Amino acid sequence: MESIFDEQYHTTIGVKVDKKVVSVDREEVTLVLWDIHGEDVFQKMRMTYLRGMSGYLLVVDPTRRQTLEDALALEARVEESMGPIPWVLVLNKCDRIAEWEVDSERIPSSERSREAVIRTSAKTGEGVEEAFSRLTRAMLHSPC
Amino acid sequence: MPEQAQRRAPAPEPEERPEASDRAFEELRHIIVSPEQEQIVEIRSRIENPERRVEDVSSVVAEAIQLRRQQGDAAALSDALAPTVEETLRESVRKDPHILADALFPVMGPAIRKSITETLRSMLESFNEALEHSFSVRGVRWRIESLRTGKSFAEIVLMHSLLYRVEQVFLIHRETGLALGHVTAASVATQDPSLVAGMLSAIQQFVRDSFASPRQESLDSMTVGGLEVWIEDGPHAVIAAVIRGHAPADYRVALKQVLEEIEGEFGAALVNFQGDTGPFRAAETRLETLLVTHYRERASSARRPWMAIAAGALLLGIVTGWISHTVYQNHQWSKLVRSLSQHPGIVVTSYQKSGGHWQIRGFRDPLASDPAGDLAGSGLDRRKADLEFAPFYSLDDQIVTERATSLLAPPAGVALRERAGTLAASGIASSAWMDRFYERAPLIAGVLSVDTTKLRNSEIASLESTVLTFPRGRSELDSGQQDVVARTARDLSAVRQYADHTSQQATVWIIGHTDSSGVESTNQVLSNQRAAAITVILVRDGVPKGVLIPRGVGTAQPLRTDPSEEAQHLNRSVTFRVKLSPVSAAP
Repeated sequence: MESIFDEQYHTTIGVKVDKKVVSVDREEVTLVLWDIHGEDVFQKMRMTYLRGMSGYLLVVDPTRRQTLEDALALEARVEESMGPIPWVLVLNKCDRIAEWEVDSERIPSSERSREAVIRTSAKTGEGVEEAFSRLTRAMLHSPC
Repeated sequence: MPEQAQRRAPAPEPEERPEASDRAFEELRHIIVSPEQEQIVEIRSRIENPERRVEDVSSVVAEAIQLRRQQGDAAALSDALAPTVEETLRESVRKDPHILADALFPVMGPAIRKSITETLRSMLESFNEALEHSFSVRGVRWRIESLRTGKSFAEIVLMHSLLYRVEQVFLIHRETGLALGHVTAASVATQDPSLVAGMLSAIQQFVRDSFASPRQESLDSMTVGGLEVWIEDGPHAVIAAVIRGHAPADYRVALKQVLEEIEGEFGAALVNFQGDTGPFRAAETRLETLLVTHYRERASSARRPWMAIAAGALLLGIVTGWISHTVYQNHQWSKLVRSLSQHPGIVVTSYQKSGGHWQIRGFRDPLASDPAGDLAGSGLDRRKADLEFAPFYSLDDQIVTERATSLLAPPAGVALRERAGTLAASGIASSAWMDRFYERAPLIAGVLSVDTTKLRNSEIASLESTVLTFPRGRSELDSGQQDVVARTARDLSAVRQYADHTSQQATVWIIGHTDSSGVESTNQVLSNQRAAAITVILVRDGVPKGVLIPRGVGTAQPLRTDPSEEAQHLNRSVTFRVKLSPVSAAP
């Protein structure tokens, strides 16, 4: 991950732009990542930041059930306003699975969705690369 | 199609009876089918024979390509041909690079020239700037500022002399915020353009959302310290220029123009943008035209920096003065050295300037003139002189002459002169001095031999000028000549002594004379008597008889020839002749 901007951009502008080179099927793809905080009581997400995106990762903190609800709601809103865009649902903190609050049945379980759900740990790095690879692959195969 | 119609004709064939009309049928069949069969054979041969096929295609291939292009499907054609063309070019270069190089030469030459000219020009410009600011009061001030602030001098110069400089230009895809193109001015440190472009788009978006005006206006510019970011929005693309300093308003027009051109030329590519920035590389030459630099106008001639000119002139004057002074001093010193070298008895072996002092070294005869005198006379600073002369005996003629003169103390009337090792004495000197001369002169440094041909013995001179007179007809001396006789005896003694010391033998002729009166035979006798009389007197006074040779000459050698009484009286006399000759082996 290549980054030149401070974390502060999150709290001020609400987005932080990073760059990542992902290798998929022996092809190098450069991703420009817009790291946007989801909505909470303090901050409303700017949908305009999503314009022009080719795919997105929904990062959920399963120890807080509400984040999954928010993510799924967001996915619905994106689909509604921008059409089907590849996405991957990332269940973070898989190193603390005992503390998870999310019900497994709430997690989308269709064939496509199963492919689109991945467990990661930001702490150990587990699954992070895979999450980016899957999203990239999905983007490359997506019609638009 | 007529061919199809013909094919359908033989269809009812099986319904007829074969045995009845076999032959007729064959004939009919031959008539009907044979031309077609021939054609089929012909067609088959065309299809199966590769050579024929090549022939066929070759006749239409150019038209086919043309038609395809006219149909507006040039892209597919290019896609189909590109790999082959690329491979062909690669192969051509591999085989013989000259062919392609020659073909490209007319294009590449000017391009390379332009690039070099451009690089040189910008280099020259910045060099001129630096030069201009390095040697001025302002330059010094800026150097101090650079030291104080820790910024580089170049930065300070730029800050003060730059009106504005466009350091970077981004071309950003409006929809995705991805960087399509990025150009930078020389020596500008940059960040990853894709990140910067993304963040710029985000900020654009943020501003648009936060302060949304009804007309969807957007962020035009941002100011960050000494930098300004000017943003120009198009329908599909955004141009952002990072400017150091303050650009004039018409730069905005330039931004707009370039953006419009790019939107026009790359419209389709912008709309269909899928993340491949390749097609937009062609836009970078346009973006580069936006990388402009403007310096402050140079001081007009009306405001010439008089202070600087005056300071320069003063400096020049001081330097010139100093140089001329140094040159003059050097000249004076070498003049001194030259004059010292010309002094007899002084040899300068080296002279050099060292630590502000002039070191002059050499040898000096004690009799030579004192160099300090020359130094004082030269007007040079004595304290800067470092004279070191070792004493020595000079063989310079003048010095040897002086040395001989001081050692031999010649009496008045005697001159000494040394030349090429020979010391010549001239004049009249006493036997005693001459004695000393012969004894000492050869011992003097620089004297190899003596020359006394012009030196006369004073006693001999005195003897030879002595005249003892007689009364007429008599051989006894006139009265009152005792002193002269005594002196003559003394002179003779001195001459003999001198002859002894110089290993010579003195012979003294005592010559008797008479006046012209009377008979010659009588005169001869009388002159003999006169010479003999003086000889007797001198022998009586102690002169050895052998030295003296009396001889009468009568009237043959008169002292004077005029008939006056005084002359006749002088002719009644005795005179002396002295001869010194080396002592012969015989006694």
